[in-house]
Amino acid sequence: MAGENYIKARNHAFLKEHIVTDTSYGLSRGVYDGYDDTWDLTKFKKQFHIEIIRHNKREMEFDMIGADPAIANCFRRIILSEVPSMAIEKVLLYNNTSIIQDEVLAHRLGLIPLKADPRLFEYRQEGDAAGTEQDTLEFDLKLKCSWNPKRLLESSDPDEMYINHKVYSSHIKWIPMGTQRDMYRSCDVGPVHDDILLAKLRPGHELDMKLHAVKGIGRDHAKFSPVGTAFYRLLPKIEIRQPIEGEMAERFQKCFSPGVIKLVNIKGKSVAVVNDARYDSCSRNVLRYEDLAETVTLGRVKDHFIFTIESIGALPPADIFIESAKVLIGKCRKFLGEINKGIK
Amino acid sequence: MNAPPTFESFVLFDGEKKVTMELDTKVPNAALFTINKDDHTLGNMIRMQLLKDPHVLFAGYKQAHPLEHKIILRVQTTADYSPQDAVKNSITDLISELSLLEERFREAVREKMDD
Repeated sequence: MAGENYIKARNHAFLKEHIVTDTSYGLSRGVYDGYDDTWDLTKFKKQFHIEIIRHNKREMEFDMIGADPAIANCFRRIILSEVPSMAIEKVLLYNNTSIIQDEVLAHRLGLIPLKADPRLFEYRQEGDAAGTEQDTLEFDLKLKCSWNPKRLLESSDPDEMYINHKVYSSHIKWIPMGTQRDMYRSCDVGPVHDDILLAKLRPGHELDMKLHAVKGIGRDHAKFSPVGTAFYRLLPKIEIRQPIEGEMAERFQKCFSPGVIKLVNIKGKSVAVVNDARYDSCSRNVLRYEDLAETVTLGRVKDHFIFTIESIGALPPADIFIESAKVLIGKCRKFLGEINKGIK
Repeated sequence: MNAPPTFESFVLFDGEKKVTMELDTKVPNAALFTINKDDHTLGNMIRMQLLKDPHVLFAGYKQAHPLEHKIILRVQTTADYSPQDAVKNSITDLISELSLLEERFREAVREKMDD
């Protein structure tokens, strides 16, 4: 049946020297005779699965196999911009005699990642200037730089001459509001990193400010994005069409990223064999050599996504993905509700 | 200086409806949905799911201008099926697809923790 060969090909995009072919996905309905592309939940359940390769507190790499590219992209967009997190939004300055301008310092404070779990807080209501304990975290930053009385008069090392001359994120102290004292501990809501340099002071300079942190999403300001980055790539595919031996095999191995091609000894000759195409960077370097270019077909599997999520620290990456799924389902439900309400 | 506030890309104005529909007069069974304060995140997904429905003849979306936060979704269906039903069914399918995805992910995480 003509559909069969096309089914195999439709899952792969081919990387040629100057172009990438067969990149569209899912537009085959009615084009290939006998192949039915209608969506069916049971069919989807059978072909879809997730494999987690690496998972720790900050970073996660997992494979999504059988999903549509539109869904993978949706997840990536939602993780970057619509999963909420907490960040400092309002800075109430009582005293700033340092040389860092107020707005520059406030901007830097906003970008500090906070450990607070955004799922425990609500969004701040419009027009509410003070904030309640359900939606705000209050911090305090008070520092005064002075001469070190014990310094040697000849030294020019700032660490020795001054006390408190570098303002770090560890100087931000949490002030619990109301019942927050019983609900959270100071180590759960402070900055993720203690060693972020915010400002430098000299003797006589003083900083005195109150910071309010609220919940927001990345669409509003990038400081609210819960990830450093989240991206996906497609699984590369290398198909060796003719046997490659000897010196050609060694050259072939060098064309790909290390670990992708291995040389096995068959009947005394070293033959190139694909070890693991996953970590290839798809540089298509092999197509530069005319004799090697005709031995190999390079491509990518169109529905195998290798996702990488690098969390900032507030939420573990697995939770970020689960939150993004909830946000996406919420959006769809809201949209469905609006359509059901009756559109004119 | 002239930058509009960032929250305007996802917060509806007062009195603005999320979805409005217009029937397309030029061809039968076609409708134009204008979805306010949304972008490619939702548009591409709904369009993709609509294309998988065999009764949908045409499905496409566009964001007419990147500074105007709305998308226009055009759907044309076969004679016995209305565009609204097509969109409703697609979103229902999407919700079940995403719920399954979430569940499979949770299982995979649990398995990985148990290892």
